[in-house]
Amino acid sequence: MAEITVERLVKRYGETLAVDDLSFTVDAGRVTGFLGPNGSGKSTTMRALLGLVRPTSGSALIMGRPFHELSNPVKSVGAALDAHDVHPGRSGRGHLRTIAAAAGLPSSRVDEVLDMVELTPARDRRVKGYSMGMRQRLALGAALLGDPKILMLDEPANGLDPQGMRWLRDILVALAGEGRAVLISSHVLSEVEQTVDSVVVIGAGRLVMQGPLADLVKGDRRPILVRSPRADELRELLEDDGASVASDGRPDAMVAHGTSLERIGTLAADNGIPIFELTHERATLEDRFLELTGESGNVR
Amino acid sequence: MNALKSEWLKLVSVRTTWALLGSMILIEGLTAGLVTDLSKVSDLRHRDIATLAIGTHLAIVFMFTLGALLSTNEFRHGTANSTFVVTPKRERVIAAKLVVGLAVGIVGALLYIAVNAGLGLSILSSRGVPVDSNEAVNTYIGVGVGLVLGCLFGVALGALLRNQILTVVIGMVLFLLAGTAALFIGNSVGKYFPGESLLALNGTPGAAKTLLTQTNGGLVLAAYCVVVGILGTLLTRQREIT
Repeated sequence: MAEITVERLVKRYGETLAVDDLSFTVDAGRVTGFLGPNGSGKSTTMRALLGLVRPTSGSALIMGRPFHELSNPVKSVGAALDAHDVHPGRSGRGHLRTIAAAAGLPSSRVDEVLDMVELTPARDRRVKGYSMGMRQRLALGAALLGDPKILMLDEPANGLDPQGMRWLRDILVALAGEGRAVLISSHVLSEVEQTVDSVVVIGAGRLVMQGPLADLVKGDRRPILVRSPRADELRELLEDDGASVASDGRPDAMVAHGTSLERIGTLAADNGIPIFELTHERATLEDRFLELTGESGNVR
Repeated sequence: MNALKSEWLKLVSVRTTWALLGSMILIEGLTAGLVTDLSKVSDLRHRDIATLAIGTHLAIVFMFTLGALLSTNEFRHGTANSTFVVTPKRERVIAAKLVVGLAVGIVGALLYIAVNAGLGLSILSSRGVPVDSNEAVNTYIGVGVGLVLGCLFGVALGALLRNQILTVVIGMVLFLLAGTAALFIGNSVGKYFPGESLLALNGTPGAAKTLLTQTNGGLVLAAYCVVVGILGTLLTRQREIT
């Protein structure tokens, strides 16, 4: 049985359809990226899973049950919905203690978690003085208090610097490696692509795709940047091969469309042309999302 | 018990709690000290034990706000998310907040009485103004009950309204303005407002001509707490946390 099962979930706020007939599952032992543009229904779906909002129809289940039927919710699910959800006048430790107390956990667990998220030196400082990265760590710490089987984090990489991103990636991969189901949402593919094993992509409240990350990348039509000292030769070869190639402004670089990294690499190797750089140009999830759905104007 | 411990920690782990209690003590001390020290002895004799209830309408501002913050901080700072995820039975959270509100209300009431009695009574005594001890005890009980109920009313109204500023503003209007305004224009319904119920609780002799009796004042204020508390709990259970 999947750890998280969302089945035909519909959530309507008045006239607004936030989630529209959404179904997906999340398994244990992997990090699943919950991807979609801003306002696509990711947070609403998470809130439905956590019993904070009621589905209009369909179901959002944790270990096969609605959240309110879980016998020990804290040990089942740890959630971090927004790094700003903390009283700024409370210390980091004080914040975690209020949650631990409500969950019936000893304050020694608070200190363990503060260690895990590397906030021990700042534990007695008031949260109003925390950086965004520290707040994200604190939110993750709160989610980890009950040592839960499922972790649900809404935009955990938001506002993190590169060091923070690497730290988050390492800890999430490690937590999934311990057999937990980890669901993290993001609207920026590049933020999570090195962390997630599989993805659930939604747009306008509907499922766009679910599967391994490789499936999302498969058929990727992002432009490809190629640099070669024999750029003109390579350009001719690529154009003969059916790709469209545009200049990059630099004499040794070009941007190719309608081909793949593998195809360009093979063509270059077959013709003995050295390659200095061969990479997809970075794209936001919105670009990929629009590509996947073929829609351009209805991202809410 | 877990929810109770958590709510207590929420109360004592922010400086606002201590600032509000400290401000109440300071203002009550100043009010009681200045009134008893600067008023004419003839006025003090005439005012009788009303002097002992001086400042309740200032103290209630702090005690009501303290109660209101217990509920509304959850929504002001977004901690309602983790609170209701960890304790999905939301009525337990509201019940715990009410118990903590009761506790801090009692602390506030005792501090008020200690400051008023310590300062006001000793100044009255030194100026030769006699105070009937039975009446004094009666007034202090009334004032104490009023402050405790005021704090509980803050918790209940905060649970009902969620918005911090709106809760405090409505509370202040109900305690300081609405009833007085109604009585001023000759509408006797004003005596049923929280502010006038609080005044009735002080048990000032002669006040019952325009206000409720001391007991009825307490009952009306308690009724506000019960009704608003039940509504707040029911709505909190039903509401979506978005």
